[in-house]
Amino acid sequence: MSSSPVAGPAPTGPSSGAMTGPSGQPAPDRRRGPGRTGRRFRPVSAGGRNGPQRGARRGIARYWPQYLAVTPYYLIFSVFMLFPMLYTVYLAFQRWDGIGEIQFVGLQQFRFLWDDPVFWLSIRNTLVIWVLSTVPMLFMALVMAVLVNSTRRFTGFYRVALFIPSITSLVAIAIFFAAVFSNDFGLINAVLKALHLSAVPWMSNEWTIKLVIAALMTWQWTGYNAIIYLAGLQAIPSELYEAARMDGAGPVRIFFSITIPLLRPIILFTVVISTVTGLQSFTEPQVMFGSDASTNPNSGGPGRAGLTTLLYFYNQAFDNNDFGYAAAIVWSFFLLILILVIVNWRLVQHKERRP
Amino acid sequence: MDLSRRRFLEAAVLAAATAGATAACGGGAESTGGKDSKNLKLWYWAGGLSDKVVADAKKHFSGTTLKASVIGGDFKTKLLTGMKTAQTAPDITGIKGEDIASFLPNANRFLDLNSLGMDKLAPDYLSWKLKQATTQDGKLIGFPIDIGPCAVYYREDIFDKAGLPTDPVKVSAQLSTWDAYFDAGVQLHRKVPKSFLINNIGAVFSMAIGQGTRRFIDEDNTFIGDQDHIRQAWTTAVKPYTLGIDAKINDNTWNAAVAKGTVATGLGAAWYALDIQNAAPGTKGKWRVASLPSGPSNLGGSFLCLPATCANPELAFDIVKWMLSPENQARGFTDAALFPTSPAAYELPALTGGDAFFGGQKTIEIFGPAAEKIPAAYEAPADAAVSVAYFNELTSIEAKGKDPETAWKDAVSQAKQVAQRQGVK
Amino acid sequence: MNSQNRRRLRGLSVHVVLMICVVVSVFPFYWIIVMATNTSQDIYSFPPKLWFGDNLLTNIENLFAKMDFFGSLLNTMIVAVGTTLLVLFFDSLAGFAFAKYDFPAKRFLFGLLLAMYILPTQLAIIPQYEIMVQLGWLGTLKALIVPAAANAFGIFWMRQYTSTGVPDELLDAARIEGAGFFRQYWHVVLPCVRPALAFLGIYTFIAAWNDYVLPLVMLVNPDELTLQVALAQLYAGHSTDYSMVMAGVLLAVIPLVLVFTFFARGFIADATKGALR
Repeated sequence: MSSSPVAGPAPTGPSSGAMTGPSGQPAPDRRRGPGRTGRRFRPVSAGGRNGPQRGARRGIARYWPQYLAVTPYYLIFSVFMLFPMLYTVYLAFQRWDGIGEIQFVGLQQFRFLWDDPVFWLSIRNTLVIWVLSTVPMLFMALVMAVLVNSTRRFTGFYRVALFIPSITSLVAIAIFFAAVFSNDFGLINAVLKALHLSAVPWMSNEWTIKLVIAALMTWQWTGYNAIIYLAGLQAIPSELYEAARMDGAGPVRIFFSITIPLLRPIILFTVVISTVTGLQSFTEPQVMFGSDASTNPNSGGPGRAGLTTLLYFYNQAFDNNDFGYAAAIVWSFFLLILILVIVNWRLVQHKERRP
Repeated sequence: MDLSRRRFLEAAVLAAATAGATAACGGGAESTGGKDSKNLKLWYWAGGLSDKVVADAKKHFSGTTLKASVIGGDFKTKLLTGMKTAQTAPDITGIKGEDIASFLPNANRFLDLNSLGMDKLAPDYLSWKLKQATTQDGKLIGFPIDIGPCAVYYREDIFDKAGLPTDPVKVSAQLSTWDAYFDAGVQLHRKVPKSFLINNIGAVFSMAIGQGTRRFIDEDNTFIGDQDHIRQAWTTAVKPYTLGIDAKINDNTWNAAVAKGTVATGLGAAWYALDIQNAAPGTKGKWRVASLPSGPSNLGGSFLCLPATCANPELAFDIVKWMLSPENQARGFTDAALFPTSPAAYELPALTGGDAFFGGQKTIEIFGPAAEKIPAAYEAPADAAVSVAYFNELTSIEAKGKDPETAWKDAVSQAKQVAQRQGVK
Repeated sequence: MNSQNRRRLRGLSVHVVLMICVVVSVFPFYWIIVMATNTSQDIYSFPPKLWFGDNLLTNIENLFAKMDFFGSLLNTMIVAVGTTLLVLFFDSLAGFAFAKYDFPAKRFLFGLLLAMYILPTQLAIIPQYEIMVQLGWLGTLKALIVPAAANAFGIFWMRQYTSTGVPDELLDAARIEGAGFFRQYWHVVLPCVRPALAFLGIYTFIAAWNDYVLPLVMLVNPDELTLQVALAQLYAGHSTDYSMVMAGVLLAVIPLVLVFTFFARGFIADATKGALR
């Protein structure tokens, strides 16, 4: 479920305040992190032409234009996000088929969840797919960025060509990947056959299914991450490199002792983004294995090898109409991710303090 | 890149206003007045009804605007979504055979067809099929479109190459039991190594379940999916896997496999013929139909239902009645492989004639007797949801080489849990 | 001379590697065209055809028989354009208020904005679905446009741009002339923030165009589907006819890619800015 505008893929930078962008970027307002907003503003309006006396009299009413201006978002947010999220918490303690009565069942849904091997399978699938995609994706992105940065020709062309996958429709690409990796007539197996190798049952083996999904995600996001790294690389002052070269450091050494440390905040950012989008994979298996929906609706393919947690959630909610259980699934999953992110963050912080 | 400020603001305000205005109207327009609208919405899925019969129904009921929509995706999900509100709900809708049981607890969301005159027509239709759409207090919510008497579809040419009989009567005689069928499969795969007997073992399992009179949950709402009758069906299903005559196809490559002859037989209901024809038009004339090993079984077979919000119940029922008359059911058979639910149709030339796709075979000779002998089993509302666990574990055997015994245990424990979640004892 | 050769060689190998990456990036588009211009039989056969065929028109004909392509295209356009205009308007207005004004609870509201933007939408999707039922919006495009009409990222982005891109002197001048908040927005802010709007607009448009989950849940009737959902259903229902499905994929993907390449340079520069913020 990664393609909605709110949790959208491309430039949604969460918690950007923690990050100091590299210097030299022509960004309009980089020095000011969001966490410190209020203090830096000149209170332009408060001291408007009517003076403070009138303002004090009318209290916050005199700020009505500002409140009106920010209202639409908070209204939409409350109605379509905040309230539903809390309602989902409520639903996780009920049994409800979407038509009949809502029935309070206490912690029963969570007990079911704990004992449900399919839920844990879906968690495992999600994590495996995430690792299989994120690690090669970010590594290759870094290599690509360094390569583009090392040359001055065709860079504009490279940037556009590498960025295109990230704006391509996921549904279309999922259909394409399913066709190319098809066991029977896919291009990949045709190539293997032409090389006199044996065909691989990509779409029915438990590991290759995950590999195909991970390959799709890697294809889609490597270029995007490379472009981001590239911007970071271009901001590293060339004097640093020259000084290192004077000291006799080779390119590999320079890469590891200058490039990587200076890119650290950006790498951290891409890791966060890839984690958020990677763990939310849904459309890929839903579309790829959609054509055998008649027998096993949204089961994620043979052996449920492509059943991600969000697909299982969708399956329970909209195929089985077990809304209470689905609510328990999605909240448990979210809390699990949160724990994962916090632990990760702690580890990174810890490492940062050591040297 | 720049936007004209004025045009942008105008457009934004306009968009906001339209959204608001239409929202306001949408809320108010719900009360459509009396139940005599001449505009009716019909929902079905591709192949659920004969498109020709639907087109003719539009002409036949000339004073009516019948808006027929072929709904894609998962039909049951879409129907449940659509039925949430009166303005999105269809006036006539198809419901698949495997889903009808899950709608019975909410029968009040549908009209009772008996009160619209179905009680008088009932003797003309198969009683066991009507029973599937009848609630315990006697409300009938579905008009049966078709049934799914099952058979073995086989490639005559591949059977010939493998030294097996090719004539439907002889094939039916030789493949009289599941074991005999699997033996033939072993011989076939040995002689023609690129061909397998079946596409996947889930197909065998669903056939074997359908041959019994009990399924996963009994009339007292008790889970019986761990009992012998299910266990036996499971054992039968696993056999072809162990024998190596299972093509293990669980994805869309089935189409290509059928076209290429990777699968030499297929287990399916009467409507399966249409799937084969769509997947592999090039194999015309090479297929034949034989009786199902170990007795008849039913798979699917759908209904037309009238949601309670139906804008004109009398007219809607007339349309349904007309579309599913014996004559039109016979056309549905020729056009969309929908096997009639009205025995009167079995005498009509459309069914008694030969089918060119099957080399001119009169397939009614296989399906007709099967249709009459189908065992009627009680299907609980949660039956379909519970059965999913078994099918998923069967694909796990095929995909991961999971030990069948472990798979059985996992399937039962998962099924039990799903049953519990659905309120089954 | 020798070292110069070596440098040249190294430069060349960089380009070779990068060209391979580019080929991998754009290969799917080439192969989609190959599949869409041949017949399904060609796709199934071995060895596969590697070059464009002449069956595109037949495939498109078959496609139009199976799916209301232009209807879906129109729905997608309505959703994408509607969402984009509303987002641009609401986000730039809120961004202006946050960037240039102080008002009580501002820090709290802005903090909320940032916290909310990592929350996954699917935590809300079941009740959202019920809310749409209650509003009578289920199965209409409103159910897609309204929840997306303003978003945290856009407000954040517009605030960042507005606070440096709109000179305080101009605002002060407008204020002296007696312009209130909304007139300042109209006469001073909007003209200044056009580049930021252009990026946000393209970004929102692409996200709305490609959105799959919300339309999948909210839409029912074939005549109200967006392209993405229609395409997925086409594939699920008719994967027998691959070349026809691929013709649909081609038609659904090409317009957006063309539009994107047209705006690409500025967009990518802004996208990295957004990320590095």
